[in-house]
Amino acid sequence: MLAGALQVAIGARDLTGAIFLFQEQGFHLSATLAEPGHFSALESALLALCIVASAALFFWRFGPILRTILRSKKDVDFSLHPLGRRVWDFFWEVLCQGKVIRQRPLPGLAHAFVFWGFLAFALVSLNHMATGFGLGFLPPASLIGNFYFLFAAVWAVLVAVSITGLFVRRFFVRPIWLGRKVSYESGFIAFLIFLLMVTYLAAFFVEDGGLAVRGLWWMHTLALLIFLPLIPHTKHLHLVLSPVTVFLKRDGFSKIPPLAGDEDFGLVAGKDVTQLISLQTYSCVECGRCTEHCPAATTGKVLNPKEIILGLRSYLNEFGPASDTPLLTEARVASPDNPPEKYLSMEAAFECTTCGSCEFQCPVGIQHVPVIVGLRRGATNTGAWEDDYGTKLFLALEKNGNALGLSAIERDKFIQKQAFPIFDGTQEYCLWLGCMGGYDPKGREIIADFARVMQHLGTSFGVLKKEKCTGDPARRLGNDLVFQTLAENGLKAFETAKVQKIVAICPHCVRTIATDWREYGVAPEIEHHSEFMARHKDRLPQQTGESIVYHDPCYLGRYHDVYEEPRAVVAKAGTLVEAPRSHERSFCCGAGGGLAFLGEEKGERVSHVRARELAGTGAQIVGTACPFCNTMFRDALTAVSDAPPQLLDIAQLTARALTASQPQNQSEQQSSGGVQ
Amino acid sequence: MKIVVAIKQVPERDAPVHIAADGKWIDEGDLNYTINEPDAYALEEALQLKEKNGAGEVVVVCAGPERVQTTLREALAKGADRAIHIEADDLGSRDTLGIAQILADAIKAESPDLILTGLQSDDLGLGQTGVVLAELLDIPHATIIMQVEVAGGGLKVKRELEDGWFQHVEMSLPALLTIQSGGNKLRYATLMGIKKAKTKELKTVAAAAPGAPAIALERVYLPERQKKTEMLTGSPAEVAAKIVEKLKFEVRVI
Repeated sequence: MLAGALQVAIGARDLTGAIFLFQEQGFHLSATLAEPGHFSALESALLALCIVASAALFFWRFGPILRTILRSKKDVDFSLHPLGRRVWDFFWEVLCQGKVIRQRPLPGLAHAFVFWGFLAFALVSLNHMATGFGLGFLPPASLIGNFYFLFAAVWAVLVAVSITGLFVRRFFVRPIWLGRKVSYESGFIAFLIFLLMVTYLAAFFVEDGGLAVRGLWWMHTLALLIFLPLIPHTKHLHLVLSPVTVFLKRDGFSKIPPLAGDEDFGLVAGKDVTQLISLQTYSCVECGRCTEHCPAATTGKVLNPKEIILGLRSYLNEFGPASDTPLLTEARVASPDNPPEKYLSMEAAFECTTCGSCEFQCPVGIQHVPVIVGLRRGATNTGAWEDDYGTKLFLALEKNGNALGLSAIERDKFIQKQAFPIFDGTQEYCLWLGCMGGYDPKGREIIADFARVMQHLGTSFGVLKKEKCTGDPARRLGNDLVFQTLAENGLKAFETAKVQKIVAICPHCVRTIATDWREYGVAPEIEHHSEFMARHKDRLPQQTGESIVYHDPCYLGRYHDVYEEPRAVVAKAGTLVEAPRSHERSFCCGAGGGLAFLGEEKGERVSHVRARELAGTGAQIVGTACPFCNTMFRDALTAVSDAPPQLLDIAQLTARALTASQPQNQSEQQSSGGVQ
Repeated sequence: MKIVVAIKQVPERDAPVHIAADGKWIDEGDLNYTINEPDAYALEEALQLKEKNGAGEVVVVCAGPERVQTTLREALAKGADRAIHIEADDLGSRDTLGIAQILADAIKAESPDLILTGLQSDDLGLGQTGVVLAELLDIPHATIIMQVEVAGGGLKVKRELEDGWFQHVEMSLPALLTIQSGGNKLRYATLMGIKKAKTKELKTVAAAAPGAPAIALERVYLPERQKKTEMLTGSPAEVAAKIVEKLKFEVRVI
């Protein structure tokens, strides 16, 4: 009966109308909340005792966590700047629950209702406790009281329905991202929340000062006081920490902090874990969004970003923030009471493509990539990471200055063959080739085509006489020595050549030069060729006919926040088709984080999963904007499809119309036949 | 075990080499220098021997101008314990014997158990320095070594011979080995290594004045390009037979 009435209340736009409806149906309902009335001194004392006990239990458990966070190493680069962005993130991510709802609309909305309901209940709960001491400040009969309690009642209904829905999801639907282990504590807490709401709502249906209302009042009180001490050691700790975490998180996406002093090599042991990391670790709500979107976790690798964070939390609980015990299990001596944790392993850390999907999805402000790269730094900077491919890559970067390990003469030859002018300060742009553009056959095609687009637009450009890798793969694999050498070399090269503006075809180069190099100096302004072409899109040839599915590269999208520019270029070259996962939720090609240069993957290849998805759209062409994505899909598309779509970079998509437009007079040559 | 590794600094492999104005040496102005590759393998072998035995010392020695200190620092960063820089700005005017002599002078004082060096240098490629050095120190040597194993009081080494053959040799210590490239996997330099290297000793010693060289350098010149085209005629079968013969006996690749 009650449930039925509640449904009416939800459906009713006018609450008083609903109450009127109840009365007509003969309920003993007053539009005001019933209160127990006078409390005896003994009862008040008992209440005080319960509150003190609950608060004491809470702090007994929360104290050590707070101490762990505060005793962690200070973040050398900690800054509250930019405050505006932080306030906005707090407003959007915490108050509006923007991320929670956006990534999982239905459960997200249910969560938002519970959260907003909690906010609405803050005043109610405070008043509730105060009445126990005869200090109630919100009389239910007053105008404000009457309004506010009815307002809270609406929320109570929404919270009760939402928490029931979330309970059903967790215990009956059971999405695997929540973890395989059933958390009975979560069930109990859901029950407590439900009880809080029901006891509140029920007080509208009973007489003032009666035994029933007194019973309800005490049930509500006890539910609240039992809930409080359960917070610190369950995932519900996020109630307390995540608003702080969201506000304080490091500025910039996937920002790798500088190393501090001569003894800092990255995350080697507990003593290297910083306060921000520690805070983020304890804020994890275990929702599994990071894992759900992780290209490694979803293709059968050991890496599971959620377990990395939880592994770090267990480590801090066990060894503390000042410990010298290695974080990575391979470096630790296993003992019976310290079993190896497979997730916090070197193997897992080096399976990350640094696509940043985890960090992007996280609703509580955890920044996974700096943690994973931090673990890699700890392993690589100390020489603990021994990997044949990794060593080969580092030696190639040390010796040859490019990730492909080829002689610099090969680049010279390519520049000569293409007759690229050398940058001498008179040209507008410095065209950055990158390792792929300078040495890889397919990358060279992209560079050559982009150069033709620039020529078509009449933009002057030159290339550097000598160019070394930006250090991106070394940076992501945690080799600070190689990265620093290459970054300083690059900064000097730009300075010597007096470069003002750079344009590059590789999003990894763009990110590394624009952001990561900042640790060692300021590089000239750099843009990705998609941004350059989009700015001149009115002067690019319009092509029609073919359908093109565009793949968002991680380092262009999530890292650089460029989504629409490459689409504008694609739209000029044909009909744009969207992949099932696109924009911010694009799925990695598997090459990032230096993984393009490492050995065979465990489980299914990330590139195959994505290639299948792209081919599945039925588009005739796969359009890319990153030479690494391109190289990954080259093999993957043929492997997953008998009749694979064509694979072209956005520069090639544009340049092919330039070839086609030249022989326009020959009537036989149609635009569709102009390529390859 | 105390191991001395004699290394040489050479121009980077893809460096554009120009001949100096006097035609006696190369123009060093624009070049980048790096460790001679076989020497990098000699260093790796020394480090692995030390790691396997759990004790010992690896000392790196290099002769040359001040710039060789970068290469010595890198060797320290990769794990060598000490470095000795033999100051000599006139390497071009010293022959193999002269260079082996200044190396021997510096190494003698160390009285090591084992001396390792690359089997040849990437620039001159004479392959003599190690052998002459062993003679000057009056210790046994073995060349083109692929594997080294400490056995009893001595060594068991694997030499590379021609045509895929190997020779296994047992020898006593002290000894000198010239190491072939590719026997081990090289390690990468790490940040921690570089930081530790800062506190390691790098000693500078003066080289004795050069004596009269036994071999004088007449002229240095770039390889002259030759283009030789020979047309093979006959039936396809005859042409194929001729090609096989040429590949076997002239080019000697099959």
